[in-house]
Amino acid sequence: MDLSPISHEPMRPPAPFRLLAGSIFGALILNLLPWSGALLRAHPDFVLLVLLYWSVNQPRSIGQGWGFMLGLVMDVADSVLLGQHALVYVVSIYLAQLLRLRILQLSLLEQALHIGAILILAQAIVVLLNLSLGREFPGVLLALSPVLAAVLWPPMDLVATLPRFRRAPTHTTVMR
Amino acid sequence: MHAYQDNFFARGPSPLARLTFFALIAIGVMVADHRFQALPFVRLGVSAVITPIEQTLLFPGTVARRAGEYLSNQSRLIDENARLKAEVLELAAASQQSKLVRAEQTYLGALAGADKRFGDRGIVAEIIRDARNPFARKVIIDKGLSQGLTAGLAVIDGKGVVGQVTAVGILSSEVTLTTEKDQAVPVMVVRNGLRAIAVGTGREGTIDVPFIPVGADVQVGDALVTSGIDGTYPAGLSVGLVTIVDKNPAFPFARISANPAAGTDQYRFVRVLTQQELHDYPRPDVKADEKRPAREAGSAARRRDSRGGR
Repeated sequence: MDLSPISHEPMRPPAPFRLLAGSIFGALILNLLPWSGALLRAHPDFVLLVLLYWSVNQPRSIGQGWGFMLGLVMDVADSVLLGQHALVYVVSIYLAQLLRLRILQLSLLEQALHIGAILILAQAIVVLLNLSLGREFPGVLLALSPVLAAVLWPPMDLVATLPRFRRAPTHTTVMR
Repeated sequence: MHAYQDNFFARGPSPLARLTFFALIAIGVMVADHRFQALPFVRLGVSAVITPIEQTLLFPGTVARRAGEYLSNQSRLIDENARLKAEVLELAAASQQSKLVRAEQTYLGALAGADKRFGDRGIVAEIIRDARNPFARKVIIDKGLSQGLTAGLAVIDGKGVVGQVTAVGILSSEVTLTTEKDQAVPVMVVRNGLRAIAVGTGREGTIDVPFIPVGADVQVGDALVTSGIDGTYPAGLSVGLVTIVDKNPAFPFARISANPAAGTDQYRFVRVLTQQELHDYPRPDVKADEKRPAREAGSAARRRDSRGGR
């Protein structure tokens, strides 16, 4: 019988609050940059990407409530219909929560594919919502946004798991 | 030990329950925003926090551009200066003529009992960025509530009508361009005084003029100016030039397209016309107006009118 461990990866200590807050704030700043022209259509939604990352990797800290609030903030910032981003963020985070255990089993590239699928669905909701309000379709560049965001997933994971961002494992809390 | 036991299994409502809860609220908020134009305080509050951050983010770009202008070469500046002086001379002549015309019109208007006023008061504003919404044709300008702007004011540049202020923040406002889908401007053909409505298409560089009968006298090259009958845009502002006239007798209306006069993507400075009372048109019923699903075209104008009437 083979009793060798199935995973050699070290256990990840939880990310501290300052990493969560810092990454979300950073994503918000990136989203608030004065995007225009082709980049406006193709730029990834950094806030949604970071929210998905934490709702997969740290589901106790970041969930649908955060998605809803940040969605409202993005609605006002982008001067779109109030509630549009909120709905999309909440639905995406729900799907991430649903697929979380499956996603965590996979390699980073496969994770990115799953996240890409969720992001494409999110973009589809945005497009359908706006078309149903009688808006003009702004072009296929919109499809690039979820793809670019999914490409950012592996590097984001590598940065977020850098040891300097994590607390040293404190054995005292377990033994207490 | 205690800290771990507290919420080891206590997860609260299931993800699906949470999704249902938040999705319903989000849809409720959307309906409130779209159908009833409610919740403006949410927008104002959040934008008050966000706008300073956005201004800070714009700062490096502004500095770079200013530095570029400072270092730009002498001959280009001299050329530009000469061109601007020539333009000022041309405009001075036009302005003196218009003073004469205005005096005449005021006199004639007084005779006819009609008091037609011009929108000659305004604030110059700088366009700071495009609105980050790929589905809409809007820009953000750097003047807001604190400079006395309100939703519904007309915005022009050196060549013609740019659009209309549709939302105001404290230090910035959102201007919906005339090319925005369903954004309507009441126009008049300069050549023969035919009145029509120019409606944005949502595409860059074209506006449509619907509901013109096939038999009507409209030709390619006709200039369209605002007719001033809506109480939002003062009469006589340039709106566009007719580029396509397709009169197919199989349809009741001709298909007419025009090029917007304002350089819809080149301008940097615009003028917001702050004239409040353009005409003494009968005010729409305030109660009925608030219940109406105010949308896009002219809705802001109606709101401004009803506000002015209170």
